[in-house]
Amino acid sequence: MELTDADLIARVLADDDQHAFGELVRRHQSSVRGLLRQLTRTDLALADDLAQEAFLRAYKNIRSFRGEARFSTWLYRIAYNCFREDARRRKELVGVDEEQWQAEQDPRSIDPGLRHDLMHALSLLPLNERTAVVLCCQNGLSHDEAARVLDIPLGTVKTNVLRGREKLKRTLAAWAPN
Amino acid sequence: MINDETLGRQLRETVPYIDDDGFTARVMASLPAARRESRWLRAVILLGLALIGSGVAYLIGAGHVVREGIIELANFPIWLLLVFAFGCGLVVGAFAVIFAIRKTPEVGDLTRLKF
Repeated sequence: MELTDADLIARVLADDDQHAFGELVRRHQSSVRGLLRQLTRTDLALADDLAQEAFLRAYKNIRSFRGEARFSTWLYRIAYNCFREDARRRKELVGVDEEQWQAEQDPRSIDPGLRHDLMHALSLLPLNERTAVVLCCQNGLSHDEAARVLDIPLGTVKTNVLRGREKLKRTLAAWAPN
Repeated sequence: MINDETLGRQLRETVPYIDDDGFTARVMASLPAARRESRWLRAVILLGLALIGSGVAYLIGAGHVVREGIIELANFPIWLLLVFAFGCGLVVGAFAVIFAIRKTPEVGDLTRLKF
């Protein structure tokens, strides 16, 4: 029987079960690392370091997870805070290692040229729009969930998603079907 | 211009699955030690309090009650002792089942149990 996230969290809370927490990490590592890679736009090692820090914070603060939101939403919020703190420390966001990025992509289901242009167009968006688009359009969060992750008003999230998508559509205009 | 539906689909499809590649192991290695010592400490405290409580009870005069109780129990017929032992077993077993249910989150939702 596959345990749900709630079951695993209950085990961590009751017995400090690190194996259960390990299962949670295994389940969510891809999406959390993916989000941070999108946000950092830079060396993958930094994104992974931030992801590791995010999971460590999640473990230490798991008692503050009240189950009002999905566990993944809570994790995204922690990961986003890690990213913001790190960016504040660095005072700059560095450029894209596009080749390294491309090497990570799944080559199966989408035109490689379009993928390349889409990822490039995404990386050109301002941080607030890029983050909103990544959370809502790629990671499947609702606007409300994204607002909670980013700690900004719901209307701002909607605006950022809308603006981001419009810019992406303009940038990718050449890929429009004839 | 590319339409909304196509853009949405492309965005979803460009989300790569990132292989774990040792990431979970690194996270697990960085976790602080589990709270084993606090559980051990709790057991020691409970046992210590039980021993102190027993000692105090004996010293203030309850000792003879226990002694006489054991002597009376020894004089019981064998069938009564068996019933007594069986009853004790039932009570302990019931507590064990209740404790196990409380410790097993899956049992909270009986529909998820597979037999």
